[in-house]
Amino acid sequence: MSVQSLEIVRSSASTWGGLTGVRSLPVLSKYIDSSSCIGCKACEVACQEWNDLPVVKTSQVGTYQTLPELDASYWNLIRFEEREHENGFSWLMRKDQCMHCGDPGCLKACPAPGAIVQYANGIVDVNADQCIGCGYCATGCPFNIPKFHEKTAKMQKCTLCVDRTRLGLEPACVKSCPTGCLHFGTKEDMLVLASQRVGQLKKNGFAEAALYDPPGVGGTSVITVLAFGNHPEWYGLPKDPSIPWTIKLWKNVLRPFGFIAIVGAIVGAFGHHLYYGNKGHIDPAPLDDEPPQA
Amino acid sequence: MSSVRQQIGLDVGALKARDTEDVIVGKEIIRHRLSSRVIHWLVADFFFLCAATGLPVFSPVFGWLGNLFGGLAVCRVIHPFAGLAFFASAAAMFLHWKREMQMTAQERGWVGPKLLEYLRDKANHDQIGKYNGGQKVFFYTAALAALGFLVSGVVLWFPLTFAGFLRQLAILVHNVTFIAFFVSIVFHIYLGTTAEPGTFNAMTRGTVSKAWARIHHPKWYRELMGTDK
Repeated sequence: MSVQSLEIVRSSASTWGGLTGVRSLPVLSKYIDSSSCIGCKACEVACQEWNDLPVVKTSQVGTYQTLPELDASYWNLIRFEEREHENGFSWLMRKDQCMHCGDPGCLKACPAPGAIVQYANGIVDVNADQCIGCGYCATGCPFNIPKFHEKTAKMQKCTLCVDRTRLGLEPACVKSCPTGCLHFGTKEDMLVLASQRVGQLKKNGFAEAALYDPPGVGGTSVITVLAFGNHPEWYGLPKDPSIPWTIKLWKNVLRPFGFIAIVGAIVGAFGHHLYYGNKGHIDPAPLDDEPPQA
Repeated sequence: MSSVRQQIGLDVGALKARDTEDVIVGKEIIRHRLSSRVIHWLVADFFFLCAATGLPVFSPVFGWLGNLFGGLAVCRVIHPFAGLAFFASAAAMFLHWKREMQMTAQERGWVGPKLLEYLRDKANHDQIGKYNGGQKVFFYTAALAALGFLVSGVVLWFPLTFAGFLRQLAILVHNVTFIAFFVSIVFHIYLGTTAEPGTFNAMTRGTVSKAWARIHHPKWYRELMGTDK
């Protein structure tokens, strides 16, 4: 952490001097080609293994999907979706995990200084020792990713294997993928790979194939090729995600307004006192209507 | 008995203020009996506990307040319980005062221009009873705020139970309520202390002077003195 702190470019609830990022690093990215995923779940297992996450009780949701949602102890989930459309039937599989947004809503919403940080390489990470488990990050996330861990009362999510990537290794899920639908490298390289694959898909009859790298959240460090790029919602992805307006209203408008209102009230009270003085210090007329004292 | 107390210098006013109010004791008038004062200070203390544990979450600028309790993580634990205590005492306060705080149509004007008139020393006090319109408005502000804090606070307390847009809304409600209530509190404290000498005593000892009553609450004063027509 001490060396990595030189790479923090954004930090939750930061004040002046809170940012320590002096190193510039190339932005990294995980490339997911949902169209060549076979749903083997090797990445799910690799994630559990590498991060030493416990067994989570699975539940039957009517498909091959392991769990209905990501879990505080399950950071990587292949979503299965059976979809009928004009050209027939598709069995869609998508790797769901933290998207590592360029402009992370979790980080914006987090009130605990340093509990969520963004490194120069684009990875968005939760520092459990700073996390207070308020869950605001989940409220700020347009992808519904951070989960509350009941035992530790902290929020948890995919770290993009920050402990592997900083040693030059690829994330555990990428390492385990047998079909090559996962790749890892600089975002620049991954974008090239993605555009090649999108072109290939278009040639193969998927006219709407596209890359999911939503600009509303500043792009993501997990980019996904979708065969039906015009229907990200088929894959459980929001069409045009951005940080919720409520969170922006809170942080950008309400909070500064609150400061001004509170300080204004205090200054106003002082000003009132200077200008009008005390009430009731005038010499009162004799209390002539007093009954005689006992 | 009371004459013995007087002989040995006991504070008759304060003793009478244990369970009576709106009575004249010598040169003083008992304005708030003990139960009223205890309820008021419970509300106030729990509010400040909530504010001190909540402000560090509002902004890291107030992180030093969080340190008083052992850090932000401790605040996150204390705050909801302090909030429950605040709501419980505020609810008790509402029930305790609600009869005396019923507003006349005329007093509703205190929500707007009448309040400014009052602050500029231009308001006609003649018909002001035990509580003026501004005090009544503040009373309902506190009741509404307690409700707003509770409803939004419970949603924010349990991240596993509530999710999505409800929590986004709760954050906004909690913040708006806080800002509006805190601004009111600043003026409440100012008017209750240095702006109007003699007022603070009503909430500590429970008594005010007759002169104070005649200046600030003339109708109440006349009623107690038996000179109201």
